[in-house]
This record gives sequence, C-alpha cells and structure tokens, in this order.
Amino acid sequence: MERIILHVDVNSAYLSWEAVYRLQHGARIDLRTIPSVIGGDEKSRRGIVLAKSIPAKKYDIQTGETLWSARSKCPNLVVLPPSYPLYLSCSDALVRLLKKYSPKVERYSGDECFVDLTGCTQKKTAEETAWEIKERCRTELGFTVNVGLSTNKLLAKMASELEKPDKMHTMYPHEIPEKLWPMPVRKLFLSGPKTLPKLYKLNIFTIGQLAHASPDLLQHHLKSHGLTIWKYANGIDDSPVVPDGRAVKGIGNSTTTPFDVDSEKEALLYLLSLTETAAMRLRSNKMLARVVTVSLRDTNLSFYSHQRRLVSPTDSTLLLYRQAKSLFKEMWRREPLRHLGVHLSDLVENKFYQTSFFDDTAVSRQQAIDKTIDEIRASYGADAVVRGLFPHSGIPPLCGGVYEAFPTMRSLL
Amino acid sequence: MKVLMQSVDMICCTNRDGVITPIKFRISDEKEENRIVKIDRILDRKEEKLAGNRMLVFTVQSIIRGRECRFEMKYEFSTCKWFLYKI
Repeated sequence: MERIILHVDVNSAYLSWEAVYRLQHGARIDLRTIPSVIGGDEKSRRGIVLAKSIPAKKYDIQTGETLWSARSKCPNLVVLPPSYPLYLSCSDALVRLLKKYSPKVERYSGDECFVDLTGCTQKKTAEETAWEIKERCRTELGFTVNVGLSTNKLLAKMASELEKPDKMHTMYPHEIPEKLWPMPVRKLFLSGPKTLPKLYKLNIFTIGQLAHASPDLLQHHLKSHGLTIWKYANGIDDSPVVPDGRAVKGIGNSTTTPFDVDSEKEALLYLLSLTETAAMRLRSNKMLARVVTVSLRDTNLSFYSHQRRLVSPTDSTLLLYRQAKSLFKEMWRREPLRHLGVHLSDLVENKFYQTSFFDDTAVSRQQAIDKTIDEIRASYGADAVVRGLFPHSGIPPLCGGVYEAFPTMRSLL
Repeated sequence: MKVLMQSVDMICCTNRDGVITPIKFRISDEKEENRIVKIDRILDRKEEKLAGNRMLVFTVQSIIRGRECRFEMKYEFSTCKWFLYKI
C-alpha cells in the first residue's frame, strides 16, 4: 500500500514563535512584518542570525551571518535574543496538534515534523487533512507552516520547501519531473557545501540532471553518498516515520568562548565543563560511550578534531575527561581557541558494564559519586554542586547545550 | 479598543467543574493610585493557545466612572497571572 507522509515545517520558526508570543502579550508590532532577526549574544561572541523575518530577507540577510554584517545591510534591524523554553513549548504544541491526526508523528527537529497519515484518511482526503492542519496552525497556534504531502519522507520534505510561507504543496511520484527536477541541486536534501562543488564539476546543476546521471559515476566521485543523493533526486526513500524516542547515536556539547582561550589550564577547564554536561546527559539516557571526540576551532575559524576509542564503554565523567584531556594535549597547536567541543559516540545501553583488567579500581566509587551528584543537581538545580576548580575561574562549571531538551537537526531522514 | 496588557490583582471564583470566573480586580493607574473594578457581566469566554501558551480570554462589561464599558481580560495558565488586555 502506498504511504501518505506529511512534512510540516514552521516558517521562520524562532522568529514567528517570538512574534506570536509577543502579540499575545500585547505587543503592538508584529515582528514578522518588519525587518527583524533572532540573534545570539554578541558580548559572548555568539552574535549570529538564528532566524530572520521575510522583510529582513529582502535586505539579503542570511541565517548564520554575523549580526554586525546584518546590521550593516539594514541599519534599523530589530534584533532579539532567543528564548529556547518558549520555542520548546511551541514545538510541543505543534506535535500535540499533529497527534490528533495520526499516532505516528516524528519530531524531526524543533520546527519540523513528519506525520504518517497512512490509514488515517477515511473521513477526509490527504489533501484536505494537510490543508486543515495548515489552517489550524495559523488560527489556533498563531504561526504559519508549510505542509508537504507525498508518499515518502524525502518527497514530503522537498514539497514543503517549494514556496513559502503558509502554503500546502504535494509532490507525488508522478509530479517529480515537473516539480522536483527543475529545482537547483543545492536545494536537495543532503547536498551541502562539500558535495556541491563536486556535483558542479560533473556539470550537475539541477536535481533533474542529478537524477539522470549515472549512479556508477556518482559513486565513483562521491562514494556511497553519491548513491544516496542519486536516490533522493529520483524521489526514492523508504525511511519510516519513527514516533518520538529515536535512539540517540551520539551526545555532544560545544561552546563558543567569550574570550580567546590561549592557556592550557583554561582550555582544560572548558573541556572538563563540557564533559561534565555531556556525561550527565549520557547517564540520564542510560547509556555508555565508547568513543570520545574533542573538536577545536581557532580564532581563524579553522576547525579540527581528534577521536579515540576506549577499551571499555563508560559513563564516568572523570574517565571521559581523562581521555578528552589527553586528546587535547596531543592535538592542540597552542594557538588561541574560540570554540571547543566534546562529543561522545558509539553508545551502548548501560545494562552491563564490561570490567577490564586495566580498569581503574575505583570504578564503582566513581559511579556512586556521579550518581549522587546527578541526583543532587536534579533536586536542587544544576549549580548546587560544582567542582572546586571552577569558582573564580570565570568559566562556567557546566558548559554547552543550548537548551537541555531542545531537539536539533539531524542529517538522517 | 486599545491594547493595554497590564497585570492586575484579581479575585476570581473557580467552581467544582474547574470553570474560572473573574469577579473583581484592582489596577494601579499612571499616578500609582489603585482603582477597584467589579466585573458585572461576562459576555464571552474563549481559550487561546497561541505559540502553545494557553490563555483564557474573557470579554466582560463593567461600570467605570458611571459609564458602561466593555473590555477584555486574559488569564495565563503558565504564570497564573491576570491581565487587563484591551479596553
């Protein structure tokens, strides 16, 4: 049986959520009607555009550019700080609304959801349901969405990208030549800045050209990724809609520092603080990690990383930090840093702990102390217990993580 | 009507079915003087969940300075605050 998949995408999500919330609280100006952006904090050097209004788009302001350059393009730009708890509640409200139509709702990122409508369209056609969802979002929740309708996730996602805002589009397989193929190849899911130059060299500029290219040629130039995007260009995708609770593949934490980090002591404190938050999240997910990755970005914005596989998986903050520390010492070229990150991957469930001959004898003591600290923090707040190294260091004892429960984008459909 | 969105002190009644009814409120004006307004009639009540934030919106009627006025009040569930929304 042919599936029916919807993709619901909130138009300029952060900005319209902020606008609706402010209107509800008596604001006289709708942020969506003036040049406005949601931007990070410039003082702590996180000053980039996170979301922009449609009038701001007319000034050629791009998501991800610095606030300084955005202001130079539009001097009377309104800049607002992000409020992640609000965005999470908006995202939850969207999911609640979608769950009234189908039990299979996947929150793909904070502002995007997939809905599997297969078998849920007895009373109304899929098009009518999609239209109704779009209308209800606007009238009940106050923000506009784009809805894409098709037979798989990829086509549904491409459909909702067609024309914005507040539109419903279909992209059934028979519509591919007419709707998908004329689009530029950069619009295709997963063809990013690394893939595009290679495709351009092969004289592939539209999705249609990619679809008609030889899969062998693409595989030769782009390895397995070539085959994936060739399938996507032909509208082939059979990934299922996974309702909430997708398995976590990795837990990472990174932070842009408010000042250039040029001493080893400060850098290690940042790493400890990042590991602490990452390990807490690892333990709350009841997982153990086997691979530790440390990534650095220097003041010239060049990025490099190092990773190591552990003998046995662990969730201990101390053991993970030791690995992060030794990785850092191996890789750091002593230049000033502006961004540090710790990523834990190759996760396994923590039902068993593989003891090893080379283990620290104090593993169980470490586990007990980690557990106690987690419990204290859960009851009395994250800053209830901090390591003695942090006070007066100017470095927050728990770094990273925009907002604990906030879902971010994934590169897997 | 003009949008005010000013927070107020409210006395309201919640009945056994959980239905909330505003009774009277106290508001301070520009001169920091308190004024007490008794709500005479509730003309309409509806719930809104804009941006996922649940609020009750009441359209009510009272006598203010000898004149019959119609205005809107809002109750925000997440903060338990009452607002004079529009008058």
